[in-house]
Amino acid sequence: MYKWFLAIRYLRTKLIAVFGIASVMLCVAMVLVVLSVMGGFLDTVRERARGLHSEIVLEAGTLQGVPYYEEFGAYLQQQLPGVVDIVTPVIYTYGIFRVPATTWTKPARVLGVHLDDYVRVNTFAGGLHYDKYYPGSSRLDPQSMPVAGVGPSGDLVLPPDLQQANASWRESEADPEALTAYDADPFVEAPYPYVTATPRSTSERVYAAEPGPPRYAGPERDGVIVGVDLLFARRTSGTFERYLARGADVALTLMPLSPAGNPMGELPSKVPLRYVDDSRTGIFEIDSLCVYVDFDMLQHRLAMDPQPLADGGMTKPRANQLLISTREGVDINEAKDQIAMAWSVYGASLGLDPDSQEARALGLAAVYTWEDMQRQFINAVEKEKVLVTFLFTLISMVAIVLVGCIFYMIVEKKTRDIGILKSIGASSLGVAGLFVVYAGAVGLVGSILGTIFGSVVVWYINDIQDFLASLHPQLRMWSPDVYSFDQIPNVVKQADAVWVASMAVLASILGSIIPARIAGRVWPVEALRYE
Amino acid sequence: MLRARGLHKSYRMGRSHVHVLRGASLDVGRGEFLVIRGASGSGKSTLLHLLGALDIPDRGSVEFEGTDLFDRGDAIRRAYRRRSIGFVFQFYHLLPECNVLENVLMPRLVAHSLLGWRSARRTARRDAATILERVGLSERSKHRPSELSGGERQRVAIARAIVNDPVVLLADEPTGNLDARIGGEILELLTELNEAGQTVIMVTHDDKVASRAHRRVQLTEGIIKEMDGSGGDAASARRIIKEVAP
Repeated sequence: MYKWFLAIRYLRTKLIAVFGIASVMLCVAMVLVVLSVMGGFLDTVRERARGLHSEIVLEAGTLQGVPYYEEFGAYLQQQLPGVVDIVTPVIYTYGIFRVPATTWTKPARVLGVHLDDYVRVNTFAGGLHYDKYYPGSSRLDPQSMPVAGVGPSGDLVLPPDLQQANASWRESEADPEALTAYDADPFVEAPYPYVTATPRSTSERVYAAEPGPPRYAGPERDGVIVGVDLLFARRTSGTFERYLARGADVALTLMPLSPAGNPMGELPSKVPLRYVDDSRTGIFEIDSLCVYVDFDMLQHRLAMDPQPLADGGMTKPRANQLLISTREGVDINEAKDQIAMAWSVYGASLGLDPDSQEARALGLAAVYTWEDMQRQFINAVEKEKVLVTFLFTLISMVAIVLVGCIFYMIVEKKTRDIGILKSIGASSLGVAGLFVVYAGAVGLVGSILGTIFGSVVVWYINDIQDFLASLHPQLRMWSPDVYSFDQIPNVVKQADAVWVASMAVLASILGSIIPARIAGRVWPVEALRYE
Repeated sequence: MLRARGLHKSYRMGRSHVHVLRGASLDVGRGEFLVIRGASGSGKSTLLHLLGALDIPDRGSVEFEGTDLFDRGDAIRRAYRRRSIGFVFQFYHLLPECNVLENVLMPRLVAHSLLGWRSARRTARRDAATILERVGLSERSKHRPSELSGGERQRVAIARAIVNDPVVLLADEPTGNLDARIGGEILELLTELNEAGQTVIMVTHDDKVASRAHRRVQLTEGIIKEMDGSGGDAASARRIIKEVAP
């Protein structure tokens, strides 16, 4: 009993214990902050990576694509109706993206999608900029450029379909702050051609447009949705500098490949397009590279649609991926196995010559889950999290040494007490236990305080950052123009907190073991003589 | 009851070896008030520590009620210190973080586990309160040792030593750090305890203090010799104490 009694008494009366508690507290807070921020970073990456594709992907594995994708999609929905929900093909290739209004060109990964289905199998729609304010207005089919006009009262007016779309967003938007933010600067955040904004004062802008009614102007061109980081630079506030007006002319240069993988045609094909929206998946590697065009247009431009054969027949159309969304509650790993099995059964049922190009293309295709597709990326972030946590845990080992030093000092100081306790019958083990319990109590109190402190830091980390940035811009720790996320992850997982706190208590106990053993071995007579 | 035979003890002091006890032997009967005298550095405290099993002799034995304390492991000595012995030190040796009551309760706390204390707590507190009243400190039970005078601290030390109702009370120069008047009071208290049946073995180099014991032994050159004139009773001891006290 005396162990517990004295440990608590020492804890309450010894100033030196405060140093032990403070060191444990700071270490716990440090590891918890790192773990929470890195864990939040990883969770966000995983969440966004999951939204990139669909739950399951049939991947052709080559740029020339895989045939029979349509037939297989229908086969899947017939064979696995309880597993497969939506199936939509994707073509991808690489091209050169050009903005004629500027002088620059950039390499781009071009994805051909059926937009209506594509937005149903992943979270792509949530990252569209104009589609948020004008729902349903971002289309990939041929279209002209929307031009704002001046209404009867001198207000800026968009074409009626866009006005209606905006009105429907305003009705459905639950967040009043989003409405206020949009109204504060509508044509800066979402610029349209010929609209100019003249600042009248720091708090007010005046928008002007070419006289005339709102209209669609220019030739009809296929729409393109561009990864936001490919086009625009991000400000430190996290918003984008949208210098290009909606509907502006852009161009893509593509290179068609034959089913055998050889370039087709005399010259690469240059496709004029109309910029209809920009997309933000939240993953910089995607948003700085990808552009999205209509599936049928791209298939045609890449000659992946049916092509005449020398024998008078036609090739099968090809796609690079088949995105497959699963039904609610389906285990995606089981679904992957079922779909992979279906793919091999379906391939065999076609009875193709094994040496044919089609059979070889079918053989190259494989089924993946979304996690398989992004494993390299997620693994990199996971490893980063483990590495950073390991480094900070290593730093936190200082706490063990510190607790060891503090307890060595305490044992030195309490040598006479040890003698007294032994003179009244306390055992060596009991005396050692007293210091272990004492260290455990120091660790427990330090851990609780550290968990509270660390949690508060994590919860308010963005406010802390804002405060630091207000003191000096260079004190900003997390820059949205560097990272994909506007905010530092600020969620503390209970399991992380419990794990870190438990480890800290254990570390404190470990740190006290050597001093406790020394205490236990103190010879009572020597201890009583100690001054 | 307590029997020491042929005790040898030596210490290393720097390069030299100091042979403190050279075959000291002693018998102590139940209810006796024995004083061990000797010059400073003669080994009185060492002998007392061996009798209280706080230290281990190089040679020789100490038997308590027929059991040799040093021919077995530490457990028997620990139990002996816990149940049969109470120590009073010259420098009180109280735990500074604990108040008077807690210091007195400490031997009981040592004797009980966390669970066992739940059932023993009430009795222990009652016993400690009774003992504090007996040593005249019931009003000071919530005070820390730093808030007490030397005499009060020594009373607390005596209270702590007897809280487990030990068979033998070992006192190492209990008045050595006190002025004559306060020292007299402490001796009075020890005598009262002895009158109530408590065996007391006290170490002192003060002739006047020593003269009130039932029996006095002299430790000279590591060997114990019975002194002439020893064997007084408690009443004569009290008389001597009064003479010692101013």
